[in-house]
Amino acid sequence: MLESGIINRRHHVGLQKVSALAEMGHSFVGPYKKYKFIQDDTNGGSALVCSCFRVIESLEPTCAVGQIVLDTIQAHHEVYRTGSGCLLFLAGAWSRAALDCLERGISVTHIISAMSEGMDICIDVCKKSSVPFEALADTGRCTATSRGSGSQLVKKPTPETSQVSGHMRGTATVGHQTLNISVQRKVKLSRHFYGTEVVSPVVLPDQPKFPDISHISTALSHGCDNSMKLAVEVVQMQWKTDQQEMNYPTFDTTKVMTCVLPCLPEDCACVVPGCVVLLSSEQASIAHQIKEKPLKVAFINGDLSHTYRHLGFKSLTGLQRVSQLSDLSHSSGEDEWLEKVVKLLLTLEVHLILTAGFAHEKLIQSCLQHKILIVEKVKLSVIRMIAKSVGAVPVTYATQLSKHCVGTGVQVAIWRDLSSFERTASTVVNISTGMNTGLVTVVISSCLPGKLQGLEDQFWACAHRLHHSMKDQAILPGAGGTEILCFHHLQRQAEYHSRRHTEAFRHNAGAVVNPYKSVVLGLMAGGLLDYIITVMANSGTISAVTAKAVVSHQLQKFHKDQNISGKFPQLILEGENEASATLSVMSSEEVPSIQIYDNVSVKQDAWRRALDLVFLVLQTDAEIITGGGSNDGADLMLL
Amino acid sequence: MSRLVKKCPSVCTDLPLSNADVCGKLRLMMELLRSCYGPTARLKQVHNNIGGLVVTTSTSSVLLPAITSSHPLINVMKSSLLSHVHRFSDCGLFAAILCLSLVEQAKLSGVREHAVIRVNNHLLAMCISYLQQDGCSCKVSLDFCRSQNLIALARSVISSKPACVLTELESLHISRLAVHAFLLTVPCSIPGTVSLGKIVTVTIKGHSVLESAVFTGLLVDVPEDNFFDTKDSFSAPLLMVLFSASLAGDLCEVGEGVIQAHPHLDTASQILDQLLELGKQVVKDEVRVFVCQKVIHPVLQRFLRCHGVFVIERLGVALMEPLTQMTGAQPVATLHSTPPAVAYGKIRHLSVKQFGPKKLLHLQPFEESTVCTMVLCHRNETMLNELKVVSQKTEHVLRLTLREPSALLGGGCTETHLAAYIRHKCKNEVSETATGLGCSQTEYLLAVEGFCHSLEFVASSLEHDGGTSVSDLTHAHNWTFPPDILEEQMDGSVGFCGCGVVGSSSSTKWTFLKTEHPGFSPVPVVRDTPVQPSVLDSFAAKLSAFQVAVETANLALDVRYVIQDVN
Repeated sequence: MLESGIINRRHHVGLQKVSALAEMGHSFVGPYKKYKFIQDDTNGGSALVCSCFRVIESLEPTCAVGQIVLDTIQAHHEVYRTGSGCLLFLAGAWSRAALDCLERGISVTHIISAMSEGMDICIDVCKKSSVPFEALADTGRCTATSRGSGSQLVKKPTPETSQVSGHMRGTATVGHQTLNISVQRKVKLSRHFYGTEVVSPVVLPDQPKFPDISHISTALSHGCDNSMKLAVEVVQMQWKTDQQEMNYPTFDTTKVMTCVLPCLPEDCACVVPGCVVLLSSEQASIAHQIKEKPLKVAFINGDLSHTYRHLGFKSLTGLQRVSQLSDLSHSSGEDEWLEKVVKLLLTLEVHLILTAGFAHEKLIQSCLQHKILIVEKVKLSVIRMIAKSVGAVPVTYATQLSKHCVGTGVQVAIWRDLSSFERTASTVVNISTGMNTGLVTVVISSCLPGKLQGLEDQFWACAHRLHHSMKDQAILPGAGGTEILCFHHLQRQAEYHSRRHTEAFRHNAGAVVNPYKSVVLGLMAGGLLDYIITVMANSGTISAVTAKAVVSHQLQKFHKDQNISGKFPQLILEGENEASATLSVMSSEEVPSIQIYDNVSVKQDAWRRALDLVFLVLQTDAEIITGGGSNDGADLMLL
Repeated sequence: MSRLVKKCPSVCTDLPLSNADVCGKLRLMMELLRSCYGPTARLKQVHNNIGGLVVTTSTSSVLLPAITSSHPLINVMKSSLLSHVHRFSDCGLFAAILCLSLVEQAKLSGVREHAVIRVNNHLLAMCISYLQQDGCSCKVSLDFCRSQNLIALARSVISSKPACVLTELESLHISRLAVHAFLLTVPCSIPGTVSLGKIVTVTIKGHSVLESAVFTGLLVDVPEDNFFDTKDSFSAPLLMVLFSASLAGDLCEVGEGVIQAHPHLDTASQILDQLLELGKQVVKDEVRVFVCQKVIHPVLQRFLRCHGVFVIERLGVALMEPLTQMTGAQPVATLHSTPPAVAYGKIRHLSVKQFGPKKLLHLQPFEESTVCTMVLCHRNETMLNELKVVSQKTEHVLRLTLREPSALLGGGCTETHLAAYIRHKCKNEVSETATGLGCSQTEYLLAVEGFCHSLEFVASSLEHDGGTSVSDLTHAHNWTFPPDILEEQMDGSVGFCGCGVVGSSSSTKWTFLKTEHPGFSPVPVVRDTPVQPSVLDSFAAKLSAFQVAVETANLALDVRYVIQDVN
């Protein structure tokens, strides 16, 4: 066994590694993300990345700490598809805070207990400052009317919001300090938003069943306006098709698929109901022949070939074929299978096959002759969805197909002919059912193939932000607003504890449980401040120094004016046209017309995961390397 | 052309413990394991350096298998410790630290190995007999009518592994669940030989620990497309069949041999026919749930589903025994004969339990059953893996209480108490015992001191943040002072001892561990105080760990020659 020890406790190598890795992702926080090239010197390959997750993924860290970082980010990305930049940044910032603590001689146990307490404070702040989804979904409508008057943003309660604000009136008086309000979620959009006077209700001519999400989507777009537009279209399409009665709006991202087209310009991106796939020219020719007719369709779970066996099947190795006479006329198993399948497909009158795996080349060819279209590599979830809507059953083997397994009523439509764009002609077809599957395809295109993955990621990020805003039924003030509130509260706690500590010391009233709490909380708050400043600086309008000045100015105001619970500082403005207005916007009474919001669960989870990562690395003092592998030899100790 | 290479002769080295290299390695191993001991321990990242899985842990059952040494002596000691861990789950690190410390102390004292071995054995016997006495003041008897001590025991195990990253509330929740699950496995009113049930652990990543729960019956992870649409049809008592043979449609292994077959023979379709025969029989017998440990051929699955049978495949070997226990079904190991009616089991109800995005199938027992499922949730995989290991360890520790319904004080208090007891007891009868053991009085006293030092060393190993370990001179319990404590603060109240039974007062006299202090007889803590120990160790596991540690150390001290085959 080889074992590498980290000898000097005050310079924790693991934490330094996390902080160094996080450094790399700094440019990915904030609304304007810059592309990075990652080049592989060994094989000359390169990748264009524009998100934290993709950077770490393509770097393939080999050290143990790097791998833990990658695992953490992957786990987060799998669920949320957004927020990994925030996660990595804070993991780095809090690693530095922990390092700082170690340098001051604070023990690991004390760091962990104080930081967990800090996290509880932050989560509490999130809970209290979250805004209900409906409040904002409706605000879209009220602001439209009130903005015209040119006055301050006074949000008059509409019939929908009056219920919310009525509930509020009883529990919360605005101007209260956030800390001592009960745990219940409050609406705190502005100090005017609690409507004591009853305004004559605005009569809405046609009250929509679903809320207006235009406002909320802009607030959650985080600089990816085009992708968000697509996501909103998807939601509206789902709501239109799915007429079921729901208590609250939902957005089912599992019913969304993406189709990436590398040849069309970016503005061709759009949302199409149904399943859109790219076909080769040969298959396109059948598509033309069978288009716009109700077809019979079969679904195959695995590969469409005679050698394919279901997972877990062990083919026998020691089998010999013996026969008495040399049978030259005997055809191979492959041909037999081919003949059988084609015959079966013809008797079942199937004209379309969707398979999750690959199809046998010869089968494709013979199907071409019989006007049977085979679409390969369709996602299993999509197969299931379409199969369910047409009453078909996906099977594993083509020979299993029977009347009951085959669905009817699927149509193939030529969505777009790409022959003019590419040398090899290809066609995009839309496979749709007469019934409402709810399946929606988002077509993403770019002339630069390297950008496609980034665009796809952006779309999924926006879609998931919308999805989670509806799932959480609440959102958080974004653009550093929540962070600055957390910073404020952490600092206040730090001050409180340091006061208590000195008092206890003065009166010699026994040992304080954790004398370093104030230092640790202060450093933790510093990590959040770093985040706010980096986000501001990355927005491209001001330098880091100015950002710092703006934040400290804001904080001073904060301290002076305790009456801030209703207002959230919006530190960053989106959109270049308003770049010059950044400073003035932050000045005072004026609340920016475009608010930026974040997801509650995404942010909380990213924070927690970041802190968990720091805790695990902080507590680790050595690696045990099992097995050989390449060892650097330098500081390894052999057992 | 064959080539003959002369074999190298075996290498024989004598006195491995006087080799500086071996001593260095033992020291390294001790530092490694010592830093993993206790609730504030440091963690280790175990990985293979070529991009494999990184495990962050401080649990002996994960650490010890990862350690392999180039020296056979260390491997022998490791496997001896590991066998203790396999049998008792708990106290592995305790055994390792004590054992390595005993070896080191023996080397330091310079006493002849044989004398040390004899004294060690003598002291071990003394400790064991003291611990087994009823009046032993570091033993707590467990009351099964009240869950408090059981929860304290479970909690001590769970909170001793910091890689779980649990808050106070979370570790209490998990401890309660562990005790709850343990109680569910104890049968209530079954005549005849009592056998304990099973706890099956299911882990769910990405959820709060507080969402962990215990259910009676089994929860099985089934692919979602296999779920049924109509719930009510699966609520009557359901007949179930369980296959342990693979129903994938392949021929079973024939080993090295070769099968000769006619070219037109299609083995796959013949086996499939056989499978469908089986399916027809099962449908005829009105079986509603069809379970297979391994893969089921998709055609058979489809056939069964068409006939309203619920199919579960790839159950896995781990769930086979709990499922047979719960349903009374007998696993069918062949597909060539129809299963007899006695092989069928019964299930009361099938339902779906949802944990966030994950859905699990809940199989409820038809009759009173001692099988239960513990669903463990945690935010990330590393912490969840450790939590799973720890919860299984807790289950084992709780089971051991049935064998011996008592526990030892934790937090290092048992060790310091024993050290004080041994010192006091040995002092009174030096000459007789020394002659009885065949060593000089000096040797005897040195060896006793080495043994006591080792015990105290284990207690002080609980501290990792530079604090000082001290012992009080009344009860000889273990205390930890923070590194920056002032002299005057030591006079005042410094809280409670390691196990939480003794509170400090201004009259408490202290001694630093590993320093000379006058011997005294530790006073038992008055039992009628309402204070209950907050940290408890498993009695059976610790006793075994004690024996294993001393015996392994004695073995290591006893080794004169190492003969290695270097071919």
